[in-house]
Amino acid sequence: MPTPSPGRPRFLKLPSIRFPIGAFVSIGHRLSGVVLLIGLPFLAIALEQSLRSEADFAALAAQWAGPWRSLLLVIVVWAAAHHILAGVRHLLMDLGIGSTLTRARISAWATIVTAALIALSSAARWLS
Amino acid sequence: MRISIYRFNPELDVGPHMQDYDVDPDSGDKKLLDLLVRLKTIDDSLSFRRSCREGVCGSDAMNINGRNGLACLTALSTLKEPVLLRPLPGFPVIRDLIVDMTQFFAHYHAIRPYLINDEQPPERERLQSPEQRARLNGLYECILCACCSAFCPSYWWNPDKFIGPAGLLQAYRFISDSRDTASAERLAYLDDVYRLYRCRTIMNCTEVCPKGLSPSHAIERIRLALLRESS
Repeated sequence: MPTPSPGRPRFLKLPSIRFPIGAFVSIGHRLSGVVLLIGLPFLAIALEQSLRSEADFAALAAQWAGPWRSLLLVIVVWAAAHHILAGVRHLLMDLGIGSTLTRARISAWATIVTAALIALSSAARWLS
Repeated sequence: MRISIYRFNPELDVGPHMQDYDVDPDSGDKKLLDLLVRLKTIDDSLSFRRSCREGVCGSDAMNINGRNGLACLTALSTLKEPVLLRPLPGFPVIRDLIVDMTQFFAHYHAIRPYLINDEQPPERERLQSPEQRARLNGLYECILCACCSAFCPSYWWNPDKFIGPAGLLQAYRFISDSRDTASAERLAYLDDVYRLYRCRTIMNCTEVCPKGLSPSHAIERIRLALLRESS
C-alpha cells in the first residue's frame, strides 16, 4: 500500500464535522466502555463489602451518600445502560435487523434517550 | 453569499487556512459547483476538481458545511451561510479542495474490481436472469467519489489497512455477480480483522452517499456471506 505523501496536511478537525446520530452512539459506546473498565472493579469490591454483613452494607451506603459520589454512580449507570443498549443494537444490526438507514437512526436515538432516562431515574433516586 | 474555503498552496503556505469570499449568485447558479466556477473567475488561484457537473464523475466531492457531498448535486438554496468548504476529511491535501486519492484507489484495485470467470466463454455474452441482474442494483451505481470512505472514522484511523466503505461496496458488487466465479477468493481476501472487520457499523457512509447507496448494507452482506461459509 502506498503511504500518504509527507508534508501534505489533512483536514480532520472533528468539531468541524457534522456527525450523524449513529456516530454519537458509537462514540458513546466507546466512552461508556472506558467508564465501565475503570468503574467495574470498584463496584465489584463495593458489592463484596455490602454482602459481608448488614453493618457493612449500612457503612457503604453512608459512605456513598454524598451528591458527588452519587453523581459518579449515575455516570456508571449511564455507562452500563448505554453500553448494553448500543451493544445489543450492534449485534442486531450485524444480523441485518434494523440496519436500514431509517431504522438505524431511530434505534440510535432510542439508545441515547433510553440510556439518558435510565441515568436520570437513578439520579432522581440517589440525588433526592 | 458568504463562502469560507479551506486554502492550501504547498508552494506558498506553511499550513492551511480558511479564506472568506462574498459572491452574489447569478440567476443561473443553482448548485454549489456553479458558484465555485464563478468564484474561479474572481480568484483563479482557487483549486478544485470537477468534470461532468451532474453527479456522475464524482470529482467534486468535498466537505460542505461539515458533511461530505458533491458540489454539483448540492443546491445553493439548501445551504446555511457562511458556507464552509473543506477537502474530504482524512485525505492528504494536494492543494485547496484537491485531495490525494492514491490510497483510496489502491484499496479499490486490491478488491479486483472486474469480473473473474475462468470458464470457457460462451459464443455470445454471459447471460443473467432478471433476478440475477437485479442483485447488482444499489451496488453498480457507485461513482467512487469517496464521500463515504472520507466520512468513516474507521477509515480515518486506519486508511492503509481498512478497505473502507467504497471498496467494500465494490467488492460486494462482484461477489454478488452471478457471472463471477471468484467469490470464495474474494471473500477470503476480505476475511481480515482490518480489511473488513474494522467497520463498526456507524453508518456514516450510508448517511452521506450522494447516490443514495448503502455501503453499510453491502458490508453486512459480506459479513453474513463469510459467516455462512464458515458454518
